[in-house]
Amino acid sequence: MSRNTITRNLLATLIAGLFMPVGAQAADADLLKKIEALTQQLEQLKAQVQASQEASRQAVAAVGEVKEKVQKNEDRSTEKWLTIGGDYQFRVDSLSGETKAFLMPTGLTTPPVSVPSYKPKNETLYTNRFGLDLNAKATQDVSVTARLMMYKTFGNNDDNATSGPYFADRVGVFDGTLGHVPSSSYLNVDRVYATWSNIADQEIWFSVGRRPSTHGAPSNLRTNAPRPGTGGTPALLVDYAFDGMTLGWAPDIDALPGAYGKICYGRGFESGYSSPLTNSIKDTDMVGISVVPIDTDALRVWTQWNRGMNIFDSPKLYASAFGMSMQPTTNLGDIDWFGAGAMGTVKKLGPGDLNWFADVGLSMTHPNSNMNAMGLGLLTGVLGSPEAANDKTGTAFYFGLRYDLPSKTKLGLEFNHGSKNWITFAPASSDSWTSKVGTRGNVYEAYLIQELDKKPISSAQAKTFFRLGFQYYDFQYTGSNNWVGTPVKMSNVTGATMLPMIPLSKAYNAYATFEVKF
Amino acid sequence: MRKNLTQLLVSIALASAALTVSPIASADDVKMVGVVTKIKMAADGKSAQATLKDVKSGEAVTINITDDETLDKFKDKRIQDGDEIRAKFDSNGNKSKSFKKTAGC
Repeated sequence: MSRNTITRNLLATLIAGLFMPVGAQAADADLLKKIEALTQQLEQLKAQVQASQEASRQAVAAVGEVKEKVQKNEDRSTEKWLTIGGDYQFRVDSLSGETKAFLMPTGLTTPPVSVPSYKPKNETLYTNRFGLDLNAKATQDVSVTARLMMYKTFGNNDDNATSGPYFADRVGVFDGTLGHVPSSSYLNVDRVYATWSNIADQEIWFSVGRRPSTHGAPSNLRTNAPRPGTGGTPALLVDYAFDGMTLGWAPDIDALPGAYGKICYGRGFESGYSSPLTNSIKDTDMVGISVVPIDTDALRVWTQWNRGMNIFDSPKLYASAFGMSMQPTTNLGDIDWFGAGAMGTVKKLGPGDLNWFADVGLSMTHPNSNMNAMGLGLLTGVLGSPEAANDKTGTAFYFGLRYDLPSKTKLGLEFNHGSKNWITFAPASSDSWTSKVGTRGNVYEAYLIQELDKKPISSAQAKTFFRLGFQYYDFQYTGSNNWVGTPVKMSNVTGATMLPMIPLSKAYNAYATFEVKF
Repeated sequence: MRKNLTQLLVSIALASAALTVSPIASADDVKMVGVVTKIKMAADGKSAQATLKDVKSGEAVTINITDDETLDKFKDKRIQDGDEIRAKFDSNGNKSKSFKKTAGC
C-alpha cells in the first residue's frame, strides 16, 4: 500500500470519526426528550394517584359519617327499644246451670229464706276484651313491661252481668281480677314490672311490679297463646294479678336444658294503717319457690310451693252480687300449696303435633281461731254451727291434650278434678261461671281453635283465630273457689241446708270467640 | 455396631419428638350475651347461622346452629332479629351448644 493510500484512509477515518459523535449526540438528545416526556407523564400519573387517594379518603370519611348518622338514627328509633303489641277478643257465652234447694240466710235477726232449686241461665253474653302490651328496653339489662287491659260486657259498663251469688271468685271484680272478669270500658294496668337481667353477668334476674301471674301454663294451650317462658305461674295454683317481686336464676346445666328457679313474693291485700282501738287486720302476703328442672319444647317439668299468709276472709269489693260493698274484716290463717306437672309436644304424630300436659296440686289450710261475721273460718264451720280450727288437705289434678293440624286447626280436650277441701288461688281465670281449676268436683272441656291462614304484618306472632268450646262442671261439693266455711257434699244439700251462697250442682258454658293478636 | 447404635438412638429421639407433639387442641366453650342481628337459615332447614352483636365488645359473632329446638324457634319467629340471646358455643367452628333468650320476669 502506498503512503498516499494510507494517508487517504486515515483522513477518511478521521472525518468519519468527527461525524459519529454528532449522530450519537442526536440520538442522546432524542432519548433525553423521551425521558423528559416520560418523567412528565410519571409526575402527572403520580398527581392523579394522589388526587384519587385523596378523593378516596374523603369518600371513606363521608361513608363513615353517613354510617354514624344511620347508627344514631337507628339507636334513637323506637323499634330498637320499644315493642308494642296486643290483642282483641270478642266472646259470646251461653251459660246455664242447675241449683239445689237450700236455705238462704237473711241476717242475724231474721229467719232464713227457703230457695227452691232452679236453672239459672244467660243465653247470650257478649263481651269485648282489649289488651295492649308494651316492652321498653330502658338501659342495658333493664326493661319495663306493661300490659293494659279492658274487658267489658256489651250493653253494660259494670260487672253486674257477670257477677252472681254462686261462687266467691265471681261475686264481683276485685284487685287481682280486674281486666280478667268483664267489668267496664276502663283501660286498667294488668301488668307492669321492671326486670333487671344478667345480674353480675350471670343468668340471674330481679323483677318487681304488678306481676305476670295470670294465665300461666298450661292454660296457654286453650287460649292459643305462647308458653309464658320463665315468667308466669302454674295456672292450677295461681291465677291472680299479684303485686310483688321475683328473684330468679337459670343455671347452665347441659343435662337440664332450660332449667331455672325463682323465689316469688306477692301482696294480696294491703291493710293500711293499724287501728288504734281494735285488733288490726294484717296484710295478706304470698311467697313461693318455683323450680323448673327442664324447659324445652318437647318437655317442660315444673314444681312449686307457695304459701299464703294471713288469708283475708273477703276481698275488697266496691260492689258485689249481694248488693253491698265488701272488705276484709279478719285474717283466717295460712294456706300451703304444693304442685308439680309436666307438659310437652310430640311433633309429627300423624299429620299434626300433639301437645299434652298433666298437673297435680295439694292444698293444706292452717286456720287460726278467727271467723268471719257469719261464724265461718278457713275451711271450717257451716252456718249456725261453728267448727274448731283444724288443718285440712285438698288435692287436684288437671290434664289435657291439644292436637294441632297443618290446616291450623287445633282440637283440645281437658279434664280437672278437685277434692272436697281443694282450694286454689285462681280467680282471674278466663272461665265465666267460676275458675274451673278451683272446682270441687269434675270439669270437662272440649274446644276447637281455627287460625286464619293470613300473613302476619304487625309482628311475626300476629294471628287471627276463632275458638269454639264447651265446659261442663259437675260440682260434688259446695264452695268451689271459696276458702270460707266447710264444703258440704252436694248430694247432702237439701232444702234444710243453710248455705252462704247458692249451691250450683251443675253448670254448662258454651262459648265462641273471635280473636286478633297483633 | 456403633452405626447401628447411632441409628437406634436417632430413631428413639425422633419417635419421642413425634409423641410430644400436641394433638389438635380441644375447643373451649365460649359464652356471650348478644343481640341477634341476622339469622340465615340453610335451604334445607337443617342448620342456620346466627350473627350476634356482643353487648360488651360490640363485635359481631356468627354462630352455627344445628339443634332442632333452636331451628324451630327461628322458623316460627320465637327468636328473631333484635332478641337478646345468651349463647354458648365451642371456639372451634363456633358450633352452638346453647342458644336461648336471656331469662327474666
